[in-house]
Amino acid sequence: MKKYCLPTIFISTLLFFYSFTLVHAQEFNFNRAYNDYLFNYNQYRQSYSEYVAARESYLTYKTLTSKNLALEKTSKMLKDEDEVIHTYLTALRMKLVETTGISNDEQNILYLKLDSEVAWYGKHQEGLSSAATLEDLVDSAKKVADKYQTTEILIYQTLGTILSGKEINFRDQLNNKIQQFKEKIGEIRQRGDKDTALAERWLLEAENRLTRSQEKQFTAQQILAKIKSSDVNKNQSYNKAQFALEESHQYLKEANSYLKEVIREIKSAN
Amino acid sequence: MPTEIIDQDFENMPVGQEEKTTVKKGKKPIFIFAGIFGGLLVLLLAAAIFLSFQQGQPTTEIETKPTPTPTPEFKEEIIPPSPYATDAAILKMEEEIKSLDQGLTSTDLKESGLNPPVLEMKIQFEI
Repeated sequence: MKKYCLPTIFISTLLFFYSFTLVHAQEFNFNRAYNDYLFNYNQYRQSYSEYVAARESYLTYKTLTSKNLALEKTSKMLKDEDEVIHTYLTALRMKLVETTGISNDEQNILYLKLDSEVAWYGKHQEGLSSAATLEDLVDSAKKVADKYQTTEILIYQTLGTILSGKEINFRDQLNNKIQQFKEKIGEIRQRGDKDTALAERWLLEAENRLTRSQEKQFTAQQILAKIKSSDVNKNQSYNKAQFALEESHQYLKEANSYLKEVIREIKSAN
Repeated sequence: MPTEIIDQDFENMPVGQEEKTTVKKGKKPIFIFAGIFGGLLVLLLAAAIFLSFQQGQPTTEIETKPTPTPTPEFKEEIIPPSPYATDAAILKMEEEIKSLDQGLTSTDLKESGLNPPVLEMKIQFEI
């Protein structure tokens, strides 16, 4: 009996570590989703080049062979395009999962919208297999182009929410610190062994910066909410919103530097 | 003036002298080569000895002592300190503020890697 004890322990330990590594490998997070997206995007660029070459060949020779090749390459390119959008939206969803500071309601609404978009592109990808002619593929591509107009709005709004989430997270932390400082300064004031007037003024300035930061974030949200599917350059609106969020971030930095002044003031004698 | 005819027998000329000269010519480059090689060896040895002396004896520049006034390091000093300068709660808050400052500085507010993919949506098969 003792003879078999040691090998059994050894094998079970190995199996335990093996299962642990398997679980770890299967873990799906943002990094994995993002790598999937990058891989699919490279594949799409490749298939797009092949489509361009096949199209040129067909338009030049107009033979049956060149037509079949163009059909095959176009279908492959459109499938890869759907896969790129699918994996990109998945990566965006995973980023949203990992970002703190966003309310649960807002997160859930975006999850639903993103899932709905992913499902549409998946269905469209399946439908491409039944396309028999080049005209079918052209129609199918037009459907994707129309759909992508609304998908883009969701993309920019999700990106804006992710960035806003970061800002909200920092602002909450700063707000907590301000409350802690208020309590501590209250204690010091009651003891009467230190003048707290200057520290309180710095604290007030820090609070003002938080308010301004929130205002800038609201501006960014308004810009993103106004994006329409008919807008040609949606990325310009997104850039404006991003700039407003950067300004909001600058106010947060200022608020933090004022808290440093509060500490400096408390630590120094009158 | 009458010319003197010297009878020369070209076929029976001595060959031994020529052989001697060729042997001398062949040995000369070996001596030159050995000389150059020996000279180089001596030069290398001299250089090695010189360098070892150089390393052994530190230069006067290295021996120089640091200046009596050291460069002042930046250190925040609160003079005079209040009774709260060493307060545990205040020091803890100070650390938290520093950590928050690092977070605010290092955060990526562009997320440019997540920008939407560039896709070629228009496809057509008509010229």
